[in-house]
Amino acid sequence: MIEFDRVSIALGDFLLDEVSLSIQKGDYYFIMGPSGAGKTIILEAISGLLVPDSGRILQDGKDVRGIPPEKRRIGLVYQDYSLFPHMTVEKNIAFGMKMRRLPALEIGHQVNTLMKQFEITHLACRAPLTLSGGEQQRVAIARALAIDPELLLLDEPLSALDPITRDRFIEELRSIHRDQGLTIVHVTHDRRDATSLGTRMAMIIDGRLAQEDRVDTIFASPCSERVARFIGFENILKGTVISCEDGLCMVDIGKNRVAVMAGAKPASRIALCIRADDITVLKHDGNKTSARNNFDGTIIQKTISGSLALLSIDIGVEITAVVTTKSVEELAFDTGTPVCVSFKATAVHVLPPQVPETRNLTT
Amino acid sequence: MKDTPGKRRWIKMRGSADQLDWCLIGFSLIGGMLVLLPLLALLNITIGQLADIPFLISIATQKQVIDSILLTFGAGLVAVIILVIFGTPLSYVLARTQSRFNQVVESLIDLPLVLPHTVAGLMVYILFMQRGLIGAPLKEMGIVFEDAFLGIVVAMLFVAMPFYVNTVREGFQKVPLHMENVARTLGATRLQAFCFIVLPSSIRHIFNGCILAWGRAISEFAAVIMIAYYPMIISTLIYYRFTTSGIKESSAVAFVMIVACFAVFLILRSLTRYLGRYDDRV
Repeated sequence: MIEFDRVSIALGDFLLDEVSLSIQKGDYYFIMGPSGAGKTIILEAISGLLVPDSGRILQDGKDVRGIPPEKRRIGLVYQDYSLFPHMTVEKNIAFGMKMRRLPALEIGHQVNTLMKQFEITHLACRAPLTLSGGEQQRVAIARALAIDPELLLLDEPLSALDPITRDRFIEELRSIHRDQGLTIVHVTHDRRDATSLGTRMAMIIDGRLAQEDRVDTIFASPCSERVARFIGFENILKGTVISCEDGLCMVDIGKNRVAVMAGAKPASRIALCIRADDITVLKHDGNKTSARNNFDGTIIQKTISGSLALLSIDIGVEITAVVTTKSVEELAFDTGTPVCVSFKATAVHVLPPQVPETRNLTT
Repeated sequence: MKDTPGKRRWIKMRGSADQLDWCLIGFSLIGGMLVLLPLLALLNITIGQLADIPFLISIATQKQVIDSILLTFGAGLVAVIILVIFGTPLSYVLARTQSRFNQVVESLIDLPLVLPHTVAGLMVYILFMQRGLIGAPLKEMGIVFEDAFLGIVVAMLFVAMPFYVNTVREGFQKVPLHMENVARTLGATRLQAFCFIVLPSSIRHIFNGCILAWGRAISEFAAVIMIAYYPMIISTLIYYRFTTSGIKESSAVAFVMIVACFAVFLILRSLTRYLGRYDDRV
């Protein structure tokens, strides 16, 4: 429904560099990336507020260059909600319909329905700046939905909410997407949002598209080290392939050899991504697990946060593992404790050989 | 008055009765010296005038004095209306664009701020005099600026311009661009977004700009007499009485003007106390 064809936009020092995206009807599409990656600029380009310097933006197959935002029927909700401070909640929601010259009766009816849906009827006559963050959020979304948009753009809508309001809101967004069949584009830097709501997503890093795919695909197999790091692979180990047989490779990561499931040429440099919670940590007593990869190591750091503990373990290279705080107590894990670390060959995501770095031949 | 966090209730630190904030006390003493100047001046002239009330009343009821005050206020008002009509769009363009031209335009607008008023007056005069670049063709159409109401208005307009444009531009800049963007996506054209979102959100700045510009306009003397000694605005009248009849009469006229200004500003401020405030908690 929305397609970016090598879109470039320069804005001050920032450059959105030949980004191509494809958002299908009915998608809950996430745009993820670190701060300053250009995510908001993409939203503003979709809504027509920014015009690409080069490239095309297609809506339903048609180039939308030259169509102003007010003619596009795309709802936009910014992170700061941007409610109109001089209008009551009711008038904020009615604004879009008034601009579209709907009859007053219909506007009133529509506003009431939306206020009921978002449980803000009691706030109808309040001034926006007197509302809590969660309430402002609801008003902002209701206002965007009031124009019956073909597409709803959300710019980090959850980042300013407390955890409880946030969880409720995720459910509301889910039901808007599912029940009304609305296409939603949601910008975030929080991977929890994407995994709980998204169908497809794009990773934007430094103004470029790093990867675009189904959310579960990207989270299972990121295409580059930076994407892997961003979506939460705590361990990224560099290594050299020694041998490869029937999809099982042995990879040299310094002191140790790791078995992984991949097809790669011997001697090629690859990177191994392992999630911290896929790593099992056992007391060092000679017992091994059934996993292929077992290494001896020493705990060098322990960080406890709530019911989980993060362990940094030296196995020749430093790796990070997550265990429960309970097992830390039971097994008496502490800095300096010798442990046995294991993980399955299937738990390792292998990044393809990287483009060789240009080497200085004179040295 | 609500207590703003961070604002001390006079000089005592919050929560302790005997711990004095010496920094604030010191600053108040130093700053107080400055406040003393207008206060003394005001008290001095007031006491002098109240000593002879019948004379003051006879001056205040003179037709020439009343006409002159009305003329000054009226010409200032016309200048402000012109500023609102032309200055508001200009301020919006300056607030929402970034280019090298902006700096040039902003310096041009600020020019009257740094020029001696006689220079400003001379510039206005040679532009609008009957042989002037603008004055000559308009004279053909029967519009005269020299020694005329319109001459007073253009001189006032020239010196008051930076006060209005700068204040309103600041107000427009404070309206988040995101708010305008949202209005656009909701179906408002740029003009509608300006009229329905930007203007109402910056109404306070527009009002302040008007007051500042009007205050500046009615206080102008040098620039006005260059082009229009007659009809006499209040500054001209006071100066004329000062040089012809002396201190007593001129200070009586001045005092009448002080009272009139006070009254007008007080009324305007109290009428618009709640104008454009949207964040008062209910």
